[in-house]
Amino acid sequence: MAYPMQLGFQDAASPIMEELLHFHDHTLMIVFLISSLVLYIISLMLTTKLTHTSTMDAQEVETVWTILPAIILIMIALPSLRILYMMDEINNPSLTVKTMGHQWYWSYEYTDYEDLSFDSYMIPTSELKPGELRLLEVDNRVVLPMEMTIRMLISSEDVLHSWAVPSLGLKTDAIPGRLNQTTLMSTRPGLFYGQCSEICGSNHSFMPIVLELVPLKYFEKWSASML
Amino acid sequence: MSNSFSSTKAWMHGFLAKHLQFHIVGTFIISLGTATFCNFAVAEPGNKAYADFYRNYDSMKYFEVKSKAGIFQSAKGFEI
Repeated sequence: MAYPMQLGFQDAASPIMEELLHFHDHTLMIVFLISSLVLYIISLMLTTKLTHTSTMDAQEVETVWTILPAIILIMIALPSLRILYMMDEINNPSLTVKTMGHQWYWSYEYTDYEDLSFDSYMIPTSELKPGELRLLEVDNRVVLPMEMTIRMLISSEDVLHSWAVPSLGLKTDAIPGRLNQTTLMSTRPGLFYGQCSEICGSNHSFMPIVLELVPLKYFEKWSASML
Repeated sequence: MSNSFSSTKAWMHGFLAKHLQFHIVGTFIISLGTATFCNFAVAEPGNKAYADFYRNYDSMKYFEVKSKAGIFQSAKGFEI
């Protein structure tokens, strides 16, 4: 979950999110490289009285500052595409869960074996128990088995929403009339929080997502108890 | 009309070129140094932290600890 004064990403709980963290470190390093280069050159230009007012051509430096940025862009694009394709790998999910966005709550359907469906509303601040998180807790969490690949099918019953869980590196738009798919795999048990990520009306900020990742046998007990 | 002063071509001493040659090297040292610092101060410790965490990671042990803390709706306490 997010915490006060946070600057970076949340801790990764899935292999894809770990890859995204490393990619971000790599790209930020390139950003700092270019920014420090530009800052140094600007400070150099501001602190010299030397000029050259008769420059006619500069073929060599123009070649360098065309080729070098192209190389840098390739160095960013290749890892980016690698992760993009990694997200789309065929991975034989063990479970399929459908989620529908509504104004202003999420509903979930586990229909692989039996028909299990429920709504997930945010717990209002006035009803929170001590220790619970404001604007993040829900009445019915999405319980899922940990360390297993799960297919999430995401859509909407009304307007655009977006189903996002930052610590798992997930964000998929919920579009009415369209079924979007994403794959979820958590390496750790625990609670993972997310919030609706597409403006959908007055209570857009008040329809959170809470995933509860537990061992398989607890997931099976929970799903049997929910029927 | 004749000019009383003859104009001569200005004598260039190469100060700007020398200035730029010196500072081009400095620019690359600073920017590559910044990138290297970012890599070894931020990226490498982060990679190491994840590698160390997952080296001997036992998900059931972490589940037991979190379950005993009572955070799960689906696993109250730690019943087997």
